[in-house]
Amino acid sequence: MAELPEKLGLLKKYAKKVYEIKVSRIVAEVEVGDIPRIVEELIKSLGKESLYLTTLVATDLPEQGIIRLDYFLSVLPEKKVVVLRAAVPREDPRAPSLLNILPGVFSAECEVYDLMGVVFEGNPHLRRGFFVPVEVAEKGIHPLKKDVKV
Amino acid sequence: MARTKIVEVPMALEIPVGPQHPALHEPLLIKLYVEGEVVTKVEVNTGYNHRGIEKLCERNNFYRNIFLCGRVCGICNTVHANCYVRAVEAILDVDPPPRAKYLRVLAMELERVHSHMLINAVMAEVLGYDTLFMTIMRDREAVMKAKEIVTGARVLADYMMVGGVRRDIDEVKKDRLLKLLDKIEERVRYYRKVFEDDPTIFKRLVDVGRLSPADIVSHSLVGPVARGSDVGTDVRFEDPHEAYPEIPVMKLIKRDEGDSWARMMVRWDEALVSIEASRYVLQHLPQGNAVPDERKLPRRFPPGEAFTRAEAPRGELTYYVLSDGKPTPYRVKIRTPSFNNIINGAFAFVGACIADVPAILVSFDPCISCMERVVVVDPETGSKRKLSLRELATRGVSR
Repeated sequence: MAELPEKLGLLKKYAKKVYEIKVSRIVAEVEVGDIPRIVEELIKSLGKESLYLTTLVATDLPEQGIIRLDYFLSVLPEKKVVVLRAAVPREDPRAPSLLNILPGVFSAECEVYDLMGVVFEGNPHLRRGFFVPVEVAEKGIHPLKKDVKV
Repeated sequence: MARTKIVEVPMALEIPVGPQHPALHEPLLIKLYVEGEVVTKVEVNTGYNHRGIEKLCERNNFYRNIFLCGRVCGICNTVHANCYVRAVEAILDVDPPPRAKYLRVLAMELERVHSHMLINAVMAEVLGYDTLFMTIMRDREAVMKAKEIVTGARVLADYMMVGGVRRDIDEVKKDRLLKLLDKIEERVRYYRKVFEDDPTIFKRLVDVGRLSPADIVSHSLVGPVARGSDVGTDVRFEDPHEAYPEIPVMKLIKRDEGDSWARMMVRWDEALVSIEASRYVLQHLPQGNAVPDERKLPRRFPPGEAFTRAEAPRGELTYYVLSDGKPTPYRVKIRTPSFNNIINGAFAFVGACIADVPAILVSFDPCISCMERVVVVDPETGSKRKLSLRELATRGVSR
C-alpha cells in the first residue's frame, strides 16, 4: 500500500485501497458518491488555489460490468497528482457532478458524457454532440464504449 | 452629423465567433451574447472536427500510435509524441539514454520558442500591427530551421521513439544551431521590448481579461494563462522528466498582473528561457548513443497503466495509457491544454467589450485561424454581415 502525503491524509477515511500507478501517481479507490465530499474537504484543507482537476478519464470495462472513472487531481503545493478512482455500473452509469465545487470539471464531464455515456447528476450542460458528430450522436451510441464500432 | 435617434439599449446581439477552418486542429464556435458593447453571456460549441484519435489509438499498435499522437496537434507535435512515448516507456520499464533525453528537451524547447513567437505574432496582427506580425514570422523561420536541423522536419517531426530519438546531431549541426540560437535570441529580446514599451499594445492588453489565481485554479486553466496570473504551475518543474532537472538555466516564469499583457509577456520570457536551455543542452550534450535499434525494441507489452504529463507550449498536456497485455493499448486518453483553457476559460469574456474579445482569445493561445470570420446579426433588421477578426479588433462593431 502506497503512503499518502501528510496533507492528503484525509483520503484515508474514504479510500478502500491505496496504491501507485506509473509514474508515481497515488491512486485512492473510493465510492463514487463520496467524491464531491472528498474534493470539497481537500479544497478546504489545502486552500482554493492549490487543487485543480487535471483530467477525468473514463474507461469501459465490460468484463467487470463497470465504467471506471479516474479523477486526476493536481495538488500544487505537493507537486503531486492524486487519482480518485471510482466505478459506476455499466448499465446505468451515474455519478454526482463536481461542477459546483470545481468549475474546471465542465469540459471533462461534458466530454465523458458524450463519449462514454456517464450521466453527471447536477450538471445541466450535458448534451450529445459536444464532440461526437451529429450522425453518431443521433444513433444514441457512445463511441468510446468497447462494444461500439465506429 | 447630428444624431436624431439614440440607439436603444439593451441591443441583443448574438455574435458567433468561429467555427470552421480546416487547416488547424481546433475549429470552435464561441457564441457571444452582447448588450451594447459588453459581453453578457458566452457559449462554447465544440465538436466540429473531433477525429476520434482516442478510439483510433485502441485499434493501432503501441508503436504506430506514436505517429498518430504526433498528429493531434501540428504546432506541438514533438511534445505530444514525447508524452505518449514516456507513458509507453513507463509501461515497458525502458529508460532512454541520457543523450536522447537531452535531445528530446532540445526539440521540445525549440518548439516552445516557435509556438510562443507564433501566438505573439498573431496578437500583433489582431492589434493591427501587420508589419510586426510579418517580422516576427520571418524571424520564426530561423527557429523552424533549427528544428529542421535537429529533427529533420520543420513541422511534423516524428522525432520521438521508444527508448530514444530518431536522429542524432553532430558537431557541424551543433555549431550551426548555436549560431541560429544567437540570432533568434537577439530578435526575441527586441520583440519582448516592443511588447513592453509600445503604448498601443499596452493600452490594448493591460487590464483586459484579468483573471484571479483562485478562478484560474478552480477552472483548471493551465500553462502561460495560469502563470500570467501568479499561479506557479509548470509540469517541467512539478513532474521531473527527461533532462529537465539537470538543466540549471530552467526557470519558472510567472507574473502577477493576470491580464492579457501578462500572458503575452510570460510567453516572451519563456521563449528566452527556452533559448537559454537549448543552448545549455547543446553545450552539455552527453556522449553516447541516442538512436535505439528499432528491431530490438520490445514486441510484448506487459499489462499496466501510466499517466504522464508534459508542458506543451500552451500548458499542461496529459496522456493516460492502459495496456492489457495485447499489442494494442486498451485505452489512451489525451487531454490537451486548449481543451481546458478554451472551453473552461470562456468566463473570461463576460464583462469585456467586443473589441477586447479577440485580444483575450489570442492571449489564451487558441488556434486562431478557426475563428477567422465573425458574423454580426442584427435582430432588429435581420441583416447579417461578415467581419474579419482583425476588423472586429481594430474597429469594434459599428452599426
